[in-house]
Amino acid sequence: MNLDATTLVYILEIVVGGLLVGIGVHFVPVGGAPAAMAQATGIGTGTVQLAAGSGLTGLLAAGLMMSVTDNIWPILASGAVGAMIMIDATMLGGIWIYAYAVGVPMASAKVIYDPITGYSQPPYVAAGTVGQGIPTVCYISGTIGAAMGGIGGAMIYYPLMNINGNAALSAIFAIGIFLVNAVLASWNIQGTIEGFHDPKFKKWPFAFRACAVASILLALAAVSITGGA
Amino acid sequence: MTVGGGGAAAPSALDPKKLRIYGIVGSVVGIYLAAALNSALNTNLFSFVGAVAAIFGVVLGANSVRRICAYGIGTGVPSIGMLALGMGIVAAMFGLSVAEELGFGYLGVIITLVYALVFGYIIGVIANKVIKFNIPIMEEGNSDLSAAGAMAILGWCFAVSGSLSYSEIVSKVLMTGYIAIIFIAGGLAILHPFNANLGPDEKQDRTLVNSVMVGGMAMIATGICALLTQGIMPGLLQIVIGFVIWYYFYMWYYRLVKRDASAVVGTGLLPPSAL
Repeated sequence: MNLDATTLVYILEIVVGGLLVGIGVHFVPVGGAPAAMAQATGIGTGTVQLAAGSGLTGLLAAGLMMSVTDNIWPILASGAVGAMIMIDATMLGGIWIYAYAVGVPMASAKVIYDPITGYSQPPYVAAGTVGQGIPTVCYISGTIGAAMGGIGGAMIYYPLMNINGNAALSAIFAIGIFLVNAVLASWNIQGTIEGFHDPKFKKWPFAFRACAVASILLALAAVSITGGA
Repeated sequence: MTVGGGGAAAPSALDPKKLRIYGIVGSVVGIYLAAALNSALNTNLFSFVGAVAAIFGVVLGANSVRRICAYGIGTGVPSIGMLALGMGIVAAMFGLSVAEELGFGYLGVIITLVYALVFGYIIGVIANKVIKFNIPIMEEGNSDLSAAGAMAILGWCFAVSGSLSYSEIVSKVLMTGYIAIIFIAGGLAILHPFNANLGPDEKQDRTLVNSVMVGGMAMIATGICALLTQGIMPGLLQIVIGFVIWYYFYMWYYRLVKRDASAVVGTGLLPPSAL
């Protein structure tokens, strides 16, 4: 590895990508097991599963775009859109199940009025639960988070592809970097979060610092590998 | 996700330090033994030794998952398994690539191990100092976890490619996409045992026997991949040995489940009203 300006830019891109992933996780309404039983707001699975799902879809979309162009902007946009579609489809499917199968209204227990629609929330929160389903604000927040995750994934994939020119290697390496950052961020929110209106969201600077350190170490490893063969 | 286990450190019959030595030495020696046997006898029949070596790493990983998750990390056990494999894949590719660039292909395993241990330790420090987990074993636990993930990936990559050379692994494991199978099968072998056994009556031997059992299943999967990359004999050998390991440890696991369960009763077929 020779440390010139291009390499530094690649390192910077990977670090920014890792940070976007780490912060993006904070936007995604992760409900965990309680949400799966409609006793908490959010999507009923863990952070890493959601981050990995949206991030990998974003990575696939970015990779597809990268096979036709070398311009970074369409690649980032494609990654963002891929991840957004993935998370939005998941949330929409979840909403149908909550509304028509479980039979609960979408309500957040963290705010009194939905910041987007202005609708009152407390009357719809069932006793003994902390909200149900995916209210509008969580949906919007999740879409923002997915966009950040997708851009982050694409931003990790793009420099890797330029360094080693091997799509398979870049993809699996990007997944590795993605998962480390997503898990650090999910540890920061301790499993569940509703979105940017959740009080836990204020903890994002901790994840920012943690992901920055981890991403720098990962980026240094990433720029020194070759494509093999 | 739900929080697994209780608040205190998990009781264990096997000392974690001993297990770390067995896991790291077992996997490193196993991978080198496999590589040496394959190249000395000019065959790839011994690729299965690499898959067996990976199981040593998996046991180490499963033990550190149960140690960390016993404190309750709030994000569910699967997240930590994915972290192990995420750290492991970066370490494995870095180690192999750097070793090949230096001209000593065989050093790859050692470089991978050192990078994984150091990186895991730093992640543990970040988790305790920045994210403020304050779990006393977080540093060494993450260090073990990262090394376990890296060794499992390396062992199974060897089992599929039959060679420790970086270019061979890239062309036979990564370009073919078998790395995804290794990634998920390896992740399951590390995270599933504690996820399946957690609770107040979690016992170390039951969890670790379960991890070897899942490792055997992962070996069957890599055997199927090896059928396509290395030919009939090395692949079949791996599948058969993987099946033997799975069967033996499955029976062992079943005995332990019967030992720990208050009762095991057959429910018979579904009642007529449910059909």
